[in-house]
Amino acid sequence: MKRSTDPRRNILKREPAKLVTRIGLAVIFLLGALMAYMGIRGQNEFSASGFSSERAYQAIYALSGQVSDAWKNSVQPDLNALTEQERALLDSTMADLLRDAWENQNAGAGEEAARLAAEGGERKGEITGKLLYTTYLVNGPKVSTSDRKELLGAKDGKALRLQLLQCMIDESLPLPKEAASLAEGLTGKERQAMLLQAFFVSGGSAGSDLTDNVNSLKKSVRGKEHQLTAFRMIARSEVSWGWQLLVSNSSTAVLLGIILMLDMVLLTLLMMAEKTWIVDFKWIMILLIVDFLLLFQLFPSVYMLIRAFFPEGTFSLSTMQRLYTYSMNLEALKNTLIAAFATMILGTAIAFPLAWLVGRTDLYGKKFFRSLFILTYMVPPYVGAMAWLRLMNPNVGTINQWLRVIFRLSDAPGPLNAYTLPGMIWVLTTFYYPYAFITISRAMEKMDPSLEEASRISGASPVKTLLTVTLPMMTPSLIAGALLVFISAASCYGIPSIIGIPGNVNTVTTRIVEYVGQGQTGMNDATGLAVFLMVVALLILFVSDVLLAKRQYITVSGKSVRPAIVELRSWRIPMTILVSLFAVIVVVLPFVTILTTSFKVDIGKSVFDASNFTTTNWTSVFARAETIGCLKNSLIFAAVSATVGLVIACVMSYLLQRTRVRGRSIPNFLITLGSGTPSVVIALGLIMTMRGNFGINIYNTAYILIAAYLVKYLMMGMRTVVSAMSQIHVSLEECSQVSGASWLTTMRRITGPLIFPSIAAGWFLIFIPSFYELSMTTLLYSSTTKTIGLQLYEYWTLTSQPMSCAMAFGILLIVVFLNFILNRLTRGEFSI
Amino acid sequence: MATVTIQHVTKSFGDNVVLREFNETFQEGEFVTLLGPSGCGKTTMLRIIAGFERPTTGELYIGDQLVSGGKTFIPPEKRNIGMVFQSYAVWPHMNVFDNVAYPLTIKKTPKNTIREQVERVLDIVHLSQYAQRLPNQLSGGQQQRVALARALVAAPELLLLDEPLSNLDAKLRESMRFEIKEIQKKTGITVVYVTHDQAEAMAMSDRIFVINRGVVQQSGTPDEIYNHPANQFVADFLGKVDFFKGEVRDGRIYLEGMGGQSIAYDGPRTGRVDVAIRPENIIFSAEGELKGVLETQYYLGDVDDCRVRVGDSLMRVITNGYEHRFLHEGQEIRLAIRESMVFEDDGLLEDILKIRT
Repeated sequence: MKRSTDPRRNILKREPAKLVTRIGLAVIFLLGALMAYMGIRGQNEFSASGFSSERAYQAIYALSGQVSDAWKNSVQPDLNALTEQERALLDSTMADLLRDAWENQNAGAGEEAARLAAEGGERKGEITGKLLYTTYLVNGPKVSTSDRKELLGAKDGKALRLQLLQCMIDESLPLPKEAASLAEGLTGKERQAMLLQAFFVSGGSAGSDLTDNVNSLKKSVRGKEHQLTAFRMIARSEVSWGWQLLVSNSSTAVLLGIILMLDMVLLTLLMMAEKTWIVDFKWIMILLIVDFLLLFQLFPSVYMLIRAFFPEGTFSLSTMQRLYTYSMNLEALKNTLIAAFATMILGTAIAFPLAWLVGRTDLYGKKFFRSLFILTYMVPPYVGAMAWLRLMNPNVGTINQWLRVIFRLSDAPGPLNAYTLPGMIWVLTTFYYPYAFITISRAMEKMDPSLEEASRISGASPVKTLLTVTLPMMTPSLIAGALLVFISAASCYGIPSIIGIPGNVNTVTTRIVEYVGQGQTGMNDATGLAVFLMVVALLILFVSDVLLAKRQYITVSGKSVRPAIVELRSWRIPMTILVSLFAVIVVVLPFVTILTTSFKVDIGKSVFDASNFTTTNWTSVFARAETIGCLKNSLIFAAVSATVGLVIACVMSYLLQRTRVRGRSIPNFLITLGSGTPSVVIALGLIMTMRGNFGINIYNTAYILIAAYLVKYLMMGMRTVVSAMSQIHVSLEECSQVSGASWLTTMRRITGPLIFPSIAAGWFLIFIPSFYELSMTTLLYSSTTKTIGLQLYEYWTLTSQPMSCAMAFGILLIVVFLNFILNRLTRGEFSI
Repeated sequence: MATVTIQHVTKSFGDNVVLREFNETFQEGEFVTLLGPSGCGKTTMLRIIAGFERPTTGELYIGDQLVSGGKTFIPPEKRNIGMVFQSYAVWPHMNVFDNVAYPLTIKKTPKNTIREQVERVLDIVHLSQYAQRLPNQLSGGQQQRVALARALVAAPELLLLDEPLSNLDAKLRESMRFEIKEIQKKTGITVVYVTHDQAEAMAMSDRIFVINRGVVQQSGTPDEIYNHPANQFVADFLGKVDFFKGEVRDGRIYLEGMGGQSIAYDGPRTGRVDVAIRPENIIFSAEGELKGVLETQYYLGDVDDCRVRVGDSLMRVITNGYEHRFLHEGQEIRLAIRESMVFEDDGLLEDILKIRT
C-alpha cells in the first residue's frame, strides 16, 4: 500500500485543528510565563521593601512587654480615675501603637508608648479610624463580609481606603466620615484586636494571655505579608494601584503561571504521544486532577524535603546533625522503629491464622467473626488507646485490679503498665492487625482451591499443603499486609500521643507535633524528622506497590471460586473458643470499658459501686455548644472531602477503566503516593506551603483540613470505584450504546446503578476516617475549625476522662453505624 | 493399576441431590469418561473418587481398599491418585521442575530418582526444555501439560482428569486428546475423565457414562452410546439428532406431520413412539421411502447441510459435500433412512430435551 493512501495518515494530514491547537498551546504557555515573570517582579519589589513579618512580631512582643512594664509603673494607679471616654481613648491608642510596632517593626517604641498611654489623646475619631484600619489590616479576613463590604465598598471604596491609608501616614488629616461612624459600630467585632486591647487596659493583669494573643495575632496575619507591604507602599504613594495588585498577589501569579506552563508542557507531551492535535476533554480532567495533586500533595512534600536540607536557603546538614544526635530524638526514632516492627510481627502473626480460621475452616460463627474483625479496622485508634489506658493503668487499670485479685498480688502498681513501649505496641497491634487481616483474607479467598487440592492429591497432608502451597502463594500478600501494618504503626499519632506522651515514650510523630508547636526553628526540626518518616514510607510504598505487585500470583480460575473448607474436627470447639476469646479481648473489652467509664464518677472504682454511676458525663459533654460545633465541623469537613474525593474517584475510574488516554496513570500514581505518605508529613508540608508564601493562603481554614483529608484518603475511595468498574465488562455499556442510548443515558441507566453500591462505599471510606481524623487535624486546626477528634483528645488530656469516654463512645456509635452501612453496601469487600 | 468400585453412592448438598445411586466398576487400565451437561453431577463423582467430597451414602473402593464409606474415609493424599484440574492448578511460585517433582518430594524420594522421574514425564509431555520456567512464562497448553506431568510422575494407579481441555483453543484441544490417549496407552493407567464435550469423550474413551440429573443414563462403548442410545436424552446429547413423533402400524412407522408418509420398521415397539434420526443417516436416493422438497441448503465444503420439507415437517439431512453440485433448492427429492432409533413415547420428550443446557 502506498503511504499516501494509508487512511490514518490522511486523517492526520487533514486535521484542521492542528495549527489552531498548537498556537493555542503556545499562547497559554506564554501567558503562564508572563504571569510567572510579573509575579517574580512583584516578589522582588516585596523583598526590596524589606518588610518582614517575623520582625514585626518581635516588635509587637517587645512593645507589649515594655508597655506592660510602663503601665504597671506609672499609669495603672490612675486607671480607676479615668472616665469611660478616656479609657476608650486609651484602648485606641494602644492599638495604634501596636499598629505602629507592626508597621514599622519598631521594637524600641516602648517609651513612646508609655508616654502616649499616660497622656491619652485628643483626636478620638482619627485614632479610632486608625484602629479600624489596623484591625482591618491585621484581621481583615475575619471581619464579617458584610461589614467589610460596607467599609470598602462604600460609594467610592477605593477612594475611602486611600483616604484611610493617608490618615495613617499623616495624622493631621481628618478621618473620613464614613469610617468614623462605622468604627463606632464595629466595636467588639474584631476579637483578636480587642483581646490585645483588653490586655493593655487591664494593665497586664491578663499577662499570661499575652503569648496566646500575640500568637493568634500572628496566626491571623500569617501569609498576608505581601498585602500588608502593598498597603504600606500605596499609602506612602510609592507605587501605583497596578503595582499594588502585583505585589500583593505576586506569589499567586507565580504559582498560577508555573501551573499553566506545566499544564501546557504536559498537554503537549500527551498530544505528541497520541499523535493527535485535537484537545481531548479527558486530558483537561487529567490536568485538573494532576494540578490539584501537584499543588496540595507533591509540592508540599518536595518543598519540605528541600527545606530539610536547605534550612536557611543554602545546603546545610546542621539541622539534621543536631536533630539526629539529640538523645530524645534518637530515643523517639528507636521507639518508632521498635514499635512499628513489633506491631508488624505481632499483627501479622495474629492476622494470618485468624484469616485462615475465619476464611478457610469450618469455625463456628466465622461470618460473624469476619465482620467483627473488619469492623474494628475503622475504629479511631485513639479511642482504643483510651480504653487500654483504662484497662492497663498501673494503679487503677481494670485488668491490673483483676490480676491482683486472681494472683493475690500486693496493692503495688502493676503488674501491667500501658504507659510503656510494650503497652503501646500492644495497643498498636490491636488496632492495626485488621489491616493485615483484610489483606490476607482477601488473597486467601481469591486463591483457586484446586491449587491446594492438587497438593493434597499429590500426597501432601493438609498441614504440609498449608506450608508448601498456601503459605508461599500468600507470601506477597502477607508481606504487603505486614508492611501496611508497619507504616501505619510508624506514622500513627493518636496512640502514641495518648499513651506515649504521659508515659514519656516519644515517637517520631509526637516529636514532630511538639516541634511544630515551637515556632520557626521548631518547624525546621519537625521537617528534619518528617523526612525520616517520609523516606521510610516511600521505601515501603515502593516495595509493596512495585516489587511485590509483580509477584502477586493471579490465580483467578474460570469457575467461581468456592474455597475448600478445612474441617477442624476435634479442634473445632477449642479454636472457636480461642477466636472468641481474642474477639472479647480485642473488641468487646475496650468498647465496654469506654462505655462503663463514661458512666463513672470515680474512674478508680467500678461503675456498679454505690453512687459511682452518673449520666452527667454524657449530658454535660453533649450539651456543650463547643462539642456540637466540633461535631458539626467534623461532619461537614468529612462530607465535603468525601464528596469531592468521590467525584475525583469516579473520573479517575472512568479514565483508568474505560479509556486508553495516555497520562491517565499520572494522577493514579500521585494518589497512591499521597495515601502512602504519613499523615503528619502531609500536614507539615501543607503548613509550610499553604500560608500564603506561595500564593495560596488556606492556613487556619477548613480548606487546608479538607485538602489534607483528600490527599490521605482519596485512594481508598478511588480503589473501590475502580475495582467496581473493572468488574463491569465494557460490553454492557457498549450494548446500551448500540441500543441507542447516549453516553450520559448509559452512565445513568447502566453503569451508574451497577456501581452505585461501590460509589456509596467509596464515599463512606473517605468519610469515616476524615470524620475522626486526629494526626493531621492536630497540626492544621484553628479555633474555628476544631473537629470532634481533636475535641476528644483535648478532653482526655485536659478535662475529664469519663467525659471524654462519653464522647468517645458517641464517636464509636457513629463510626460503627457508618461501618455497618458500608459493610452492607459492599458485603465486606472494600479495598484498603 | 487399580479398579474403582462404586457402590450405591449418593451425594446430596442439603436437600439438593446431585448424585443418585451410582453403581459401577471401572476396570484396570480402562479409560472411562463421565459425560454430561454442566451440573449433572459428573464432577462431584470425580471429587468423591479423589476424596475431596465424601459420599452421603454408599461405598467407594480403589482396588480392594475401601476409601470412602461408612466411618472409613481415606484423605486424598493417601489414595495414590493423579489428578488434572480444569484450571490446571499449576503452582505459580514453583518452576516447572518443582511443580512436577512435588508429589515425589512429598514421598521423600531420593533426589536423583526425582530428577530421573521428572525428566521422564517431562519428556512424555514434551516439556523437557521448559523445566526451569515459571508457570506464568508458559502458554495455557504448556501449563496443562505440566499439570498432566505432575499427575503422572508418582506413577499413580488412577488418573483423574476434570475437564482438562476446556480452557484450551480448538486446535490444541484436538491434539491434546490424542496425546492423553497415547500416554494412557503407554502407561496402562486407569483413567477417569470428566467432560461435557461429546467429541472428546468419543475420541478417547473405552467406556462412556452419560450422566444427567445425577443419574447414569447409559454406559457403554462410544459406538454403543452413539448408535444405540438407551433413551432420548442420550440420543440427543451425543451428535445431532431430530426427533419425530410417530405410530407403529403394520411394520411401519407413520410419522406425524408428514402427510401420512411412513418408514419401514421391524423392531419390537408398538403404539406411539419417538423416532430419533441423525441427519447423516438420511440419504438422497431415488428409491427412498419419503418424498419431499429441498428447501434450503448450507454448503460447508466437506458436507452439505440441507433442510427438506416432508409434508409439514422439516427434516435435516447432512449429506456429502460432493452432492452439492447436483442439488438445487425447490427440487423434489426422495429420502432414504439408513438408520433410526425408536423409543417408546412416554410423553416426556419435551421435558428431557428442555434441560439440556
